[in-house]
Amino acid sequence: MKVRREQKIARIKKQKGKKGTPVEAMPSPELGHKLIPKLRYTDTGFAQVEWDKMWKKVWLLGCREDDIPNPGDHYVTEIGNESILIVRQKNKTIKAFYNVCAHRGNRIVHALHEPQLESSNFRCRYHSWEYGIDGKFTDIPDLETFPQGAPDCGGLISMPCDSWGSFVWFSMNKDVEPLRDYLGIIPNHLDPYHFDRMVLTRQVTVEWDCNWKASVDAFNESYHVQGIHPQLLYYLDDLDIQIDCYEKHNRYLIAFGVLSPRVVSPSEIPPPIKHVMREAGMDPASYEGSVYNIRADVQKHKRVHGATQGKDYSSLNDDQLTDDYHYTIFPNVTMNVHADDLMLFRQRPHPDNPNKMLFDYFMYELPDNDFDWETYKKPIHKKFKHGETSLGLVINQDAYNLPFVQKGMNSNGYEGLWLGNQELRIRHFHKTLEDYLEK
Amino acid sequence: MDLNLRGKNVLITGSTQGIGRRIANLFAEEGANVAICSRSPESVNKAIKEISLMADGKIIGSPCNIKNKEEYESWINDMAEELGGVDIFIPNVSAGGGMDSEKNWWKNFEIDVLGTVRGVEAVIPHMELRGGGSIVMISTTAAVETFMAPQSYNAMKAALITYAKQLSQAHGEKGIRVNSVSPGPIYFDGGAWDMIKISNERFYDKTEKTHALGRLGTPEEVAKAVVFLSSSGASWITGVNLVVDGGYTKRVQF
Repeated sequence: MKVRREQKIARIKKQKGKKGTPVEAMPSPELGHKLIPKLRYTDTGFAQVEWDKMWKKVWLLGCREDDIPNPGDHYVTEIGNESILIVRQKNKTIKAFYNVCAHRGNRIVHALHEPQLESSNFRCRYHSWEYGIDGKFTDIPDLETFPQGAPDCGGLISMPCDSWGSFVWFSMNKDVEPLRDYLGIIPNHLDPYHFDRMVLTRQVTVEWDCNWKASVDAFNESYHVQGIHPQLLYYLDDLDIQIDCYEKHNRYLIAFGVLSPRVVSPSEIPPPIKHVMREAGMDPASYEGSVYNIRADVQKHKRVHGATQGKDYSSLNDDQLTDDYHYTIFPNVTMNVHADDLMLFRQRPHPDNPNKMLFDYFMYELPDNDFDWETYKKPIHKKFKHGETSLGLVINQDAYNLPFVQKGMNSNGYEGLWLGNQELRIRHFHKTLEDYLEK
Repeated sequence: MDLNLRGKNVLITGSTQGIGRRIANLFAEEGANVAICSRSPESVNKAIKEISLMADGKIIGSPCNIKNKEEYESWINDMAEELGGVDIFIPNVSAGGGMDSEKNWWKNFEIDVLGTVRGVEAVIPHMELRGGGSIVMISTTAAVETFMAPQSYNAMKAALITYAKQLSQAHGEKGIRVNSVSPGPIYFDGGAWDMIKISNERFYDKTEKTHALGRLGTPEEVAKAVVFLSSSGASWITGVNLVVDGGYTKRVQF
């Protein structure tokens, strides 16, 4: 049945205390209505320009601070053809290096996406060149056989590295602005969630058959909920959404625990909304109110009972206790931010094929009093091809569809993205991308 | 066949939407006087207005929370008084399914079972005064075959079938017939199967194919069975459970 009920989501108008997440709606930016050329998604030449002018200029998510707590702990991440070695220093600061030996170009550390424990130094397994954790040469075997001496670089090539929000960031641009400047409003908006209190519960990388931007786009609009995720029509309001675009980054605020205006209320509480209630510690069977009051009642319930469950919501406003505060940190970090968890996606370009990408999925959860620290083990990072693992129904639905989008974009019969107002974040994302390409 | 419903007084609980509402509509079309209820006064008033448009008889109603025994009994007595007696009673209201907690069992017991028992006990004296009557309970195919999950809804609805049979034996002498109707999956806009169709199309399609007649039922089709069993057309039928499911269930009813 085609329904379109009138529905206005009640939203908090005032932020929670001075340090709370700002809630005011931003004026809609004037970004025009032009078609976004499909070449950005399909063309190898464009991908190269994108690499040179954007990927090599921005700040990128590397790992989590608690991946490398002690001096010598290190972590290798990859972006495009680059491998980045992130190392905790003796003075507790963090350095990032190109993971490449200055001698013949071998990768120094071969492990990938798994925290490695304390090293006192790094030794290239090819000819045993050695580097300290600060990246400086500590040993070059048979140095006397190099008439020209050791390479002038003095060791591994470092790059800007800093941390925010429990995450470590790096940039291949040695002249990049400070991380805080780059992140702009992000720390101010997201610090109230205290990501540092959340623990990693799943991490997976899946190779998807689409351009990395097709994936970013899919999470930047909810217009596709009715088509791809119809079950979410009984879980969220996909129409009354607050979209806010900032300098480089953007967000939208989606009310959870409500019915979409595209459906009518069944006589029973829909199972996905029951799930919201149960997660908050409420019994749906005992609920006497109307389905339209559940979101507000869950907020009240969590506000009252959060502390006894061991969850500190004191910096969050009531909407944040139910809703999705959804942020995209340019270029490739998608954050589904909730009071009790952070579902983070990092979208990485395939090193040499614009029709492929690497989808990194990370789930962080806020431990409650029942959390079993004794048996908790940081999950091992696993890598899959498309279709080999489940990322939950919603992401599976996106993952199923995206290869078809990519195929379609390669068609002679398609010119580019024809975007509506519900897709404003995609337009804003492309504006930021254009700004980099034009520099 | 004339169902002889003109001028008959019918009480239906939970009758502003869904199957209950279609039952009320059909009785109204057949010329009966109909009393309806639901918890919300707005829905009752709206439904009375809408049903009256197709009615020859009197359409009345008032809000009532079936859970509250006194409120429920006085709804029955008020309606009986206003219509001048009770000929037909359809205890239709249900707490629905769910496996959230033990509370589901209490709710199905309170609404589905006690909501029927208390209603029956309150209407029988009115029917005795008129020398007979007809009661049709609403059960479900989930009571006669395993369905979805072991939930209280299925078990409590099953209790109604047994209760109806016993009542039919106990009150037959007084000219009171008691039957039950067990609908299978029923589709209507805004109903549970509408939600399933939207959110899990595959399961919906599979369910549809399971029906011998190849589709889900409509609430009107259930209403027809209920109205027939209530009417003098079914004067020789009592103590049966009529499965109205388009061949969804597969058992043989000996």
